[in-house]
Amino acid sequence: MITPTIIGRAMLIAFGAFLISVPWLIPALLNRFWVSVIAEIMIWSLFAASVNLLFGYVGLLSFGQALYFGFGMYGVAIGVATLGLSFWPAFGMGIIAAVAIALISGIFAVRLTWHYFAIITVVFSLIFYFLAVSVKPLTGGDDGINFALPPTFSFGGVVGSFSSENFQYFFILATVSLCFFLMHCVIRSPLGKAFVAIRDNDVRAALIGLNVYRLRLIAFVMAGFLAGVSGALFAFFGRYASASYMFYHVSGEAVVWAIVGGAGTLFGPIVGTSLFIVIRELVSTHWEHHSLIVGVMAILVVILAPKGLVGLWNDRLARWGERGKDASIRTSLRTDP
Amino acid sequence: MTEPALRTENLTKRFGGLTAVDNLSLSLPGGRLHAIIGPNGAGKTTLFNLVSGLLAADSGRVFFHGRDITGLKAHQISRLGIKRTMQIKSVFPQLSVAENLWITRQAARQFLHPFCPASRDQDTRERVGQTLDQIGLTALAQRPAGTLSYGDIALLEIGMALISEPQLLLLDEPTCGMSPAETERAVAKIRQLARTIDIVIIEHDMSVVFEIADDITVMAQGGILAYGNPGEISNDERVREAYLGQPEDEDYVDEALHA
Repeated sequence: MITPTIIGRAMLIAFGAFLISVPWLIPALLNRFWVSVIAEIMIWSLFAASVNLLFGYVGLLSFGQALYFGFGMYGVAIGVATLGLSFWPAFGMGIIAAVAIALISGIFAVRLTWHYFAIITVVFSLIFYFLAVSVKPLTGGDDGINFALPPTFSFGGVVGSFSSENFQYFFILATVSLCFFLMHCVIRSPLGKAFVAIRDNDVRAALIGLNVYRLRLIAFVMAGFLAGVSGALFAFFGRYASASYMFYHVSGEAVVWAIVGGAGTLFGPIVGTSLFIVIRELVSTHWEHHSLIVGVMAILVVILAPKGLVGLWNDRLARWGERGKDASIRTSLRTDP
Repeated sequence: MTEPALRTENLTKRFGGLTAVDNLSLSLPGGRLHAIIGPNGAGKTTLFNLVSGLLAADSGRVFFHGRDITGLKAHQISRLGIKRTMQIKSVFPQLSVAENLWITRQAARQFLHPFCPASRDQDTRERVGQTLDQIGLTALAQRPAGTLSYGDIALLEIGMALISEPQLLLLDEPTCGMSPAETERAVAKIRQLARTIDIVIIEHDMSVVFEIADDITVMAQGGILAYGNPGEISNDERVREAYLGQPEDEDYVDEALHA
């Protein structure tokens, strides 16, 4: 029998197969340009996942995730361009820089919740944005840092490098998939359950013995890690780092992607990010006010499908699954003695 | 003499100009079921908030089996074995009934595994099954807790207190909002629990109080008005005046006493 679980699995397999075939399928159907758009979508999906981990699973709305994205970017760019590091140490430096700044700012930020938390995350990212713009010798200021990317690995005669577009695509696919898999594991784990408990009711969470502050900090650092990885990937992808990606405008976009796609669902950020970036790529060449469409769609989704597109789909699927079962379930409901 | 299960020393909490708990010294020996009663605003729930760490006292100390727990955080106090239910029922509304119990059980651990699936924990699975059975919510195990009736949520709260194996259980109006049948079941459950754990209960339903309590503390305006067994309390003139005062209630109390 076809159950919602089977449908979900089938869709996941189809989606995976599609992503793997993109470098051949898309040039044949459209053109090569869209391969790099899809690579970019994956990177930004990971960034939106960082917002989603905080908002969808711990209940903290951060408008400052771009800060950690920016640190991931700058870690890579400064590592390669200034320190002359090779690929992996630069990648590591980007991630470590993002996690470190997430830990430091998190220590202060997660003492607060709701709008106070949102405000302090914006403040942190603004502080570092202006710092990055003004410390020109280190960050290149408004111009940013351009760099030539070293090869990812060379083993014997085989060299893997981002200069090969397919290699670049698959490296991004593998890294983003790994991060989503890790997030999937965390969500199902006792730690993930504790996150959701805190989102639902933080007072009760403390009363059952959860250290709410420490768990929020752990989530904040994890979200910093996801944002840092996506920033580092984006630096590799663009061979470029710029303070403009640390601006809170970038954070806000990720919030919209995550919420429209479905906060609190693993795949929500992917759906939301894909939708908006595809719209942007299709419309922006013809019409400069494409963000109007984004705004209208965001408003519609928030009103009509508060759980986002994936939440809407899950509800439909669950209802469809319910209909399959017969009425015997209903009679087994507990009645008062 | 052994240390009382719960003792407070000159405990005071002010909210602006209002003194909610006023220089309260209380000593509740273990092994007995205590009820705290008193008119609205007497400071009962504030006392629970001070004991469970949700509020910090302005002055005074709290001891749990002789251990000073004043100023500890809520999760630290919870880990020492003091669990409570809330007057306004408080569960995790978007988690299923089973998940509510599950996370409550696992929250007691120092280390929450970040990658291993929570559902693989066999010991917790068994305990959740038993507890669902005990509170009679097995059929609703997969329902989101937020969709339950008020009485079922109250039962779930008791289940959450149970599964965490408390030493001291603070119940804040556990039967509030329950149907008579649900109340009866909850009272039976509380009685059964009281054989193994120390329970302090705040309750407005006098028939429940006089039915289950070994000792009763009457609070009024943040202080203790009277302390004694149900018989002493119902015959205490000050209590009658302050709390049970209305003549039409007297018969009711007598009735409850001799029921």
